[in-house]
Amino acid sequence: MDDHPLTTATTRRNKLVFHLLLLIVTVPILVGYLWILISTFSHRTYGLIPVDDYGNFGGLTLQNWSFLWKDPNIWQVTFNSLVLAVGLTIGVVSVSALAGYALSRIGFSGRRSFLAVTLILHAFPSVTLLISIYFVLRWIARIPIIGNDLPIIGGFGYNTLGGVILVMLALQLPLGIWLMKGFFDHISWDMERAALIDGASRFRVWWQILLPQIKPGIAALSIFSFISGWNEFLIPYTYMAQQEKSTIATYLNSMLSDTAPVNYSQVAAVGLFQLIPVIIFFIFTQEYLLSIFAGGSKGGT
Amino acid sequence: MRLTLENLTKKWGSVVGAENINLQVEDGEFVAFLGPSGCGKTTTLLMIAGIYKPTAGVIKFDDRVMNKVPPKDRNVGMVFQSYALYPHMTVYENLTFPMKLKKVPEKEMKERAQHIADLMGIGHLMERKPGQLSGGQQQRVALGRALVKQPDLLLFDEPLSNLDARLRLTMRAEIKRLQLELGITSVYVTHDQVEAMTMADRIAVMKDGHLQAFSPPNVLYDQPATLFIAGFIGNPPMNFLEVEVVQEGDRYVARRKGFELAIPPQRGKPVAGRGRVILGIRPEDIALGAEGIPGEVYVIEPLGRDDLIDVLVGDEHLRVLADPDIGLKLGDRVHLQPNASRVQFFDPETEKSLLWS
Amino acid sequence: MVCPSQRVNDMSTSIAPSESRWRQWWENFRSSLSALAFMSPAAVLIILFFFIPVIIIVAISLTNMSTSTGFQNWEWIGLQNYVKIFSHPKTGEVLKNTIFYVAATLALFNVGMALVVAIITTHIPRRAGFAYRTLWLLPRLTPSVVYVMMWKYIAADAPYGILNQFLVPLGVEPTNWLPAKPWLFVILTNGFIGASFGMIIFTSAIESIPRDYLIAALVDGCSNWQRIRYVILPMIRWPLLFVTTYQTLSLLTSFEQILLLTDGQFGTEVWSLWAYHRALNNYWGNFQWGFGAALATVLVIIGIVMAIVYMRYFQFNELVQEPKIEAL
Repeated sequence: MDDHPLTTATTRRNKLVFHLLLLIVTVPILVGYLWILISTFSHRTYGLIPVDDYGNFGGLTLQNWSFLWKDPNIWQVTFNSLVLAVGLTIGVVSVSALAGYALSRIGFSGRRSFLAVTLILHAFPSVTLLISIYFVLRWIARIPIIGNDLPIIGGFGYNTLGGVILVMLALQLPLGIWLMKGFFDHISWDMERAALIDGASRFRVWWQILLPQIKPGIAALSIFSFISGWNEFLIPYTYMAQQEKSTIATYLNSMLSDTAPVNYSQVAAVGLFQLIPVIIFFIFTQEYLLSIFAGGSKGGT
Repeated sequence: MRLTLENLTKKWGSVVGAENINLQVEDGEFVAFLGPSGCGKTTTLLMIAGIYKPTAGVIKFDDRVMNKVPPKDRNVGMVFQSYALYPHMTVYENLTFPMKLKKVPEKEMKERAQHIADLMGIGHLMERKPGQLSGGQQQRVALGRALVKQPDLLLFDEPLSNLDARLRLTMRAEIKRLQLELGITSVYVTHDQVEAMTMADRIAVMKDGHLQAFSPPNVLYDQPATLFIAGFIGNPPMNFLEVEVVQEGDRYVARRKGFELAIPPQRGKPVAGRGRVILGIRPEDIALGAEGIPGEVYVIEPLGRDDLIDVLVGDEHLRVLADPDIGLKLGDRVHLQPNASRVQFFDPETEKSLLWS
Repeated sequence: MVCPSQRVNDMSTSIAPSESRWRQWWENFRSSLSALAFMSPAAVLIILFFFIPVIIIVAISLTNMSTSTGFQNWEWIGLQNYVKIFSHPKTGEVLKNTIFYVAATLALFNVGMALVVAIITTHIPRRAGFAYRTLWLLPRLTPSVVYVMMWKYIAADAPYGILNQFLVPLGVEPTNWLPAKPWLFVILTNGFIGASFGMIIFTSAIESIPRDYLIAALVDGCSNWQRIRYVILPMIRWPLLFVTTYQTLSLLTSFEQILLLTDGQFGTEVWSLWAYHRALNNYWGNFQWGFGAALATVLVIIGIVMAIVYMRYFQFNELVQEPKIEAL
């Protein structure tokens, strides 16, 4: 691809200056992530330099990764994080695709209001509602069976993984719905009309004809939801009682707030452990993620 | 199956899509909805299909009122301008989709799909996806999909507009032949009057949401009911001239500056003495001869088979179809001999024909 | 004008009966039912986790609910909590902190750095620009605990801290920089995350400036700085305004990084964190739901107002096309 006209118009000297400036401001990022990488393989680090017990250069080790086989909790929380991420993804995509379709293609009374509401909610800072959502979750916990007695996710009430999934699902809906609606808006009307004339019900049209046309949108939303579920700290932290037993993020935090002195290298190892899937996703699915950040913020294409 | 439209109207707020459409399509008839963009033909078609709900009026299949019946229960097949094939399904899956929905048994589905595909000449493309087909092939798949459900009614929405001219000719003939063989009542929307004239048993001409005429092609050609129809049907289009028709004894003469034409009594009588009227005469009905109305050759457009000559008569232009072998040049003086028994007359205000009601 | 064809079909007998109001309502309802099926999961969740919580938070802010009253023995106390906000000794400090924090981070990073990175990366070769923007996206994608831990280590005391490793050779006294310069790190931590939002938007805005316009300006012989000032900035005025308002709201209400970094210590308690601490999370386990709710309600109201403003000014021209299928 060609460079931007601005780039070609910039002199070499200026380009060098720009590079330098950018490098300087980007230093904290470079340094920080470099440290994480070095730290996970070092016994300890003095700044960026790996050291051994005596403070000499060296001390490279794989010991920090021993948590993978020594700590019983890590696999429990990894499993939980996975359940959270996958559950959230399935939930967000299906609910958003359903609602996005109706808002885009079905003329029902109240459609315009719902659209306006979705847009407002999209901009609204949902984190302000954490306190009251706490009460909603406590109320849900009292509902028999689905409140507290489900397998794996525990239920949908307070102090359950299901509750965390539900909350995150709801808070991501404004973005998801708007995104899905945007994608549905671009499908040709004729194809849907043809399917209706062929004899399909609205639901079948949605499932068999239209969803396959918006695979990029579904992919983008799925990746975004998965990463946000996998990374999330505040919501599991707020709504689940035992930090060491809920998700990787809270587990990590409990490692940091232990009263015993913190072994940063070990913590860095767990941190990298959590970071790796995200990096992998980012490397391989960049355009999808970027389309969400740009598109989602402007309210979808 | 007989299709009846009674006072069919579609409005969005104050915007009129179609208003008071009244017509009846007989069983097995091929009817065209003809008109320029925005005249309401597609709107009417979509109401027949059940995609739009009429604001007023009734749609009847035979004697059954269909207004409330959803599209999937109308047993209608529709072919779209954009083909509207399902891109993620193979040709076979596209064809069998309507049958799958009706839970037709697998074996029968395969047979019917193959039969239709062979009929459409695409039997060898069953495993391809639409993206791998040419425009003409896609159109055939679309047609096949409409036919495979053995519909009572076939609807076409400008299906040939996206094809190149050559292909359009072949497809036109094929569709027409197919319809005759299968005998399915068909409604064909188009803005191309050649398509309508060559394919339809009757043509419904629409303008600005209203039905102007519903007649066989030759009637529209020979006896146009409005100025619009006269100018729209026939290529090259009809010449229009403002004249006054006076009765001189038992002769009727149409006159304007530089133009004088004797009109046969059947045509002249209803028009005489009405002051200004619009005279219409087709280019193919004007001959060039040694005597007649004098004019000067202004433009020559060779069409291959004929030459379209623009002749300056007085201060107006008349277009004439002439034999290319005459060898005319710009500026030549010629004499026009319009065939007066084929002239049309229109009221300048109402734009309606003064000869045909 | 009477159409000629109408006379042919004058024997039409059954004109559609004018439908009674009730029938029409029933028809509308039936077609809304299918829409309802599609919308209901989303509708239920949004009501449950947006609308009801807003009502709840306002309601609780009018009570004295806390761990001392429990869930049974609370009472309505009207606007007393709000009065308490005004008279509380900590309010002034928290308010100052919040305004300082939002303004500084916004100016320096969420808008400032975002602009700088966007402008610079469009002036250097495409690949390099892409690489830099990718780096700047990393903080946003990193799990917050990991990311904050990284900053804690940068700030840590010698011999561990990275910053000290660079400063000590320059003769600076080593210390744990977090308690020493808490605001610096709060702003840095949040800023590096926040900048990526504006960076993406500004970059795409700059890249969509019509090429002809740019080339004309280039031909006119502007220097880089003139070009930025007179050509680029005016063309991205709208995205600039959008990012500023959106990020202001975001900074005002988010507190996760501050929670992890300092937990509000060293004088870094901002309004949103204060509410969170009061109602849900503090060392002593004394939760004052009523007071915390009142603090949060202030933010909720600001949030709703700004969200509506945002919708009106930035999305009003959004294509809200009408459906072209009216079948049941």
